[in-house]
Amino acid sequence: MSVSKRRLWALLPVVALGLAACGGGGDEAAEETGAAQTGDAGGGLTVGVSWNNFNEERWAKADEKAMREVFDAEGVEYISTDAGSSAEQQITDVENLISQGADALIILAQDGTAIKPAVAEAVNQGIPVIAYDRLIEDPGAFYLTFDNVEVGRMQAQAIYDLVPEGNYVFIKGNSADANADFLRGGQEEVLTEAAGCSALTPDNPDPACPIKNVGESYTDNWDPAVAQTNMEQFLTQNNNNVQAVVASNDGMAGGVVAALEAQGLAGQVPVSGQDGDAAALNRVALGTQAVSVWKNAFALGAAAAEIAVQLAEGTAFEDVSVDVAALDPSYESSAPAAGNDAAPFTTPGGVEVTSIILTPIPVTQDNLDVPVDAGWVTQEEVCQGVEAGAVEACG
Amino acid sequence: MATTTSPSPVATSGPQPQGGSSGGILRRMEVDPRLFGMLAALAIIWAVFEIWSDGIFISPRNLWNLSLQTSAIGIMATGMVLVIVTRNIDLSVGSMVAVIGVTMALLQVRWLPDWLGLGNPWIWVISLAAGILLGAAIGGFQGVIIAYVGVPAFIVTLGGLLVWRGVAWALSKGQTIAPMDSTFKLLGGGGNATIGGTATWVLAGLASVGLIAALVLGRRRRVKYGFALRPIWADIVIGAVGTAAVLLAAWYLNQYYMPEALARRFVEQSGGEYTGQQIPLGLANPVVIFIVVGLVMTFVATRTRFGRYVFAIGGNPEAAELGGIKTRWTIVKVFIVMGILTAISAAVLTARLDAATSGLGTLAELYVIAAAVIGGTSLAGGIGTVPGAMLGALVAQSLQSGMVLIGVEAPIQDIVVGIVLVVAVALDSLYRRRVAV
Repeated sequence: MSVSKRRLWALLPVVALGLAACGGGGDEAAEETGAAQTGDAGGGLTVGVSWNNFNEERWAKADEKAMREVFDAEGVEYISTDAGSSAEQQITDVENLISQGADALIILAQDGTAIKPAVAEAVNQGIPVIAYDRLIEDPGAFYLTFDNVEVGRMQAQAIYDLVPEGNYVFIKGNSADANADFLRGGQEEVLTEAAGCSALTPDNPDPACPIKNVGESYTDNWDPAVAQTNMEQFLTQNNNNVQAVVASNDGMAGGVVAALEAQGLAGQVPVSGQDGDAAALNRVALGTQAVSVWKNAFALGAAAAEIAVQLAEGTAFEDVSVDVAALDPSYESSAPAAGNDAAPFTTPGGVEVTSIILTPIPVTQDNLDVPVDAGWVTQEEVCQGVEAGAVEACG
Repeated sequence: MATTTSPSPVATSGPQPQGGSSGGILRRMEVDPRLFGMLAALAIIWAVFEIWSDGIFISPRNLWNLSLQTSAIGIMATGMVLVIVTRNIDLSVGSMVAVIGVTMALLQVRWLPDWLGLGNPWIWVISLAAGILLGAAIGGFQGVIIAYVGVPAFIVTLGGLLVWRGVAWALSKGQTIAPMDSTFKLLGGGGNATIGGTATWVLAGLASVGLIAALVLGRRRRVKYGFALRPIWADIVIGAVGTAAVLLAAWYLNQYYMPEALARRFVEQSGGEYTGQQIPLGLANPVVIFIVVGLVMTFVATRTRFGRYVFAIGGNPEAAELGGIKTRWTIVKVFIVMGILTAISAAVLTARLDAATSGLGTLAELYVIAAAVIGGTSLAGGIGTVPGAMLGALVAQSLQSGMVLIGVEAPIQDIVVGIVLVVAVALDSLYRRRVAV
């Protein structure tokens, strides 16, 4: 008896190591895993969330917080893993969440294709999967996101309103991320229609088009430093003859603005972004960035949690319905007309998935108060270094 | 190379049978043929991009950009040479950049302003000093585990790669930390963060004098110790070519003028009227830091006892240990140096981007190792030069910047850089085998 007990104790570090490995380095994940081991007594539902990485500003601050609020209110157990930007790690993470007894999974995919085997395994075991924010091309995954094509449209529209003709640069996201192309697609749609052009590709320009694409590149890992280097090269190539930059997110917009600043052009050349990063909203207030399209992550997180609970209770994909504005009042101000019922959505790969798609909001100097009032950022962060009276939201 | 344990029979044993005439000249001039080969490769790369980009690549502006973009990786590559020479590796530098960058950013954006007030001149000094201390501490910590506990460097720094980026995330809470202190930003080389045209000329002049002095002193020292002399014409050619190259570079980079918007602001601020004056920017501050670091590291590697120990350990660790060298402590010191250089790079990168994120320096370890290896550093240990690694960094960055300029997409860029890395090492080992026969 005592011998076997001692053996068990000897195994403990091994088990602990294993658990830590499941967490992929995130201490929070390890903590949650521990909670899952002990807290199953209630017999309630468990929802597992697989994050691809927590590096970006928003996930920890809003998405997870909103999810937990819904879960806490409904008495649902929350377990999570962080894959640290590794697609392989994420497959292991999902398997771990399944073996920990998740009744529904929310997956923020690092790579929407690489994750498919893990999704298939969950589906085989009857566990519903939500593709959170990023597409997974598998009808077994319920797709919940903001309208990324719409984000691209809003970015392009805001820039086009300021610069209806001239040389445009496009700083796109990571080439392996479907969002990068959705965004670019939306930008293309708005600009070609508004300017009356056939296409805005660099290789095949429409000679009659008032907008000229003078530089376009993907950005490895959406890395701001890479975006900065690329922007420097585009400015060099065009001898600074660039009138507008459509950057697909705020981090990269930061790199672009740094490159423009080195040429004394910051504030003269409008730059777009998305995510509503505090640093980016500060640039909007300062006038060096024109727009940051904000996807209300509180609303997205709350919606995902609600959908996960409905699916875990056995609701069929097509019968899912969430009143997002009721879950999160700050959403209503941004998009009253968004659909709340599941609808079919055809992916770029031709797969028909079930989806709920929320509408984002473009934040410019005129409506900086919206993310501030929602509690996304503080007025102090947004208005740092802004002259008194220059921007309404800053007083 | 001069300090490797292998003697230099090349200089004394006369012409080798298999060498061609150009190889013979190079050998008599004692120019490292691999360094020469790399310069040739660089010339080819530049020429190809120049043609492909319709004459933009070798414009003063693009070369100026290139020098700036090379600096951060190049600074770290000078340290990576020593690490690899001692038969170790450091995979953690990219993540260290993140944790050091985030720490320096937090100090100047959040912590110190509350305490000293925004814009206090001590803020940048304290953040930079803290960053360098942190770099030395992390490097030393990893070095102790490697040298005294005996865990392979690959494992320790692989752990570091995960740990430090995680710490960076925890510190930044996943947020972008911006904007940097305005004085600190001068380390980044954007806009007004350059030394100006005159200082660039002065620097080039000093470099020329230094080069000639080094040749004269080197010759005198050889006479003193009775070593074989390089033919006098070889010394003259090296001096002339070197001086010309330095002065040409200074002249050419000074053809890149302050962008119009900045020039207007600059002239009007100093009370003048802007009439389209062309003000040379001169070298960007990070480039000056890069050159100074390169000189210091070359001196450390070739002229100090520490440097000789490093190469002795790399050549034969057991013999070095038996020869009375404190091999373990030397290795710890190598990692401390690497940590300090990483901190300098982190300062340059955050100042340049005017922001820090926990994603800063992603994959930097690979580019740094690639620069050292393209620059002729042998992963088997004992062989490598600081100038080689600096050139290696320039080669790698030339490829990347050039490909952006001609519109090659990111995944293809990775393919090309990967292939070049392998080809460079393959050519190097073929060359070595041929020389050894």
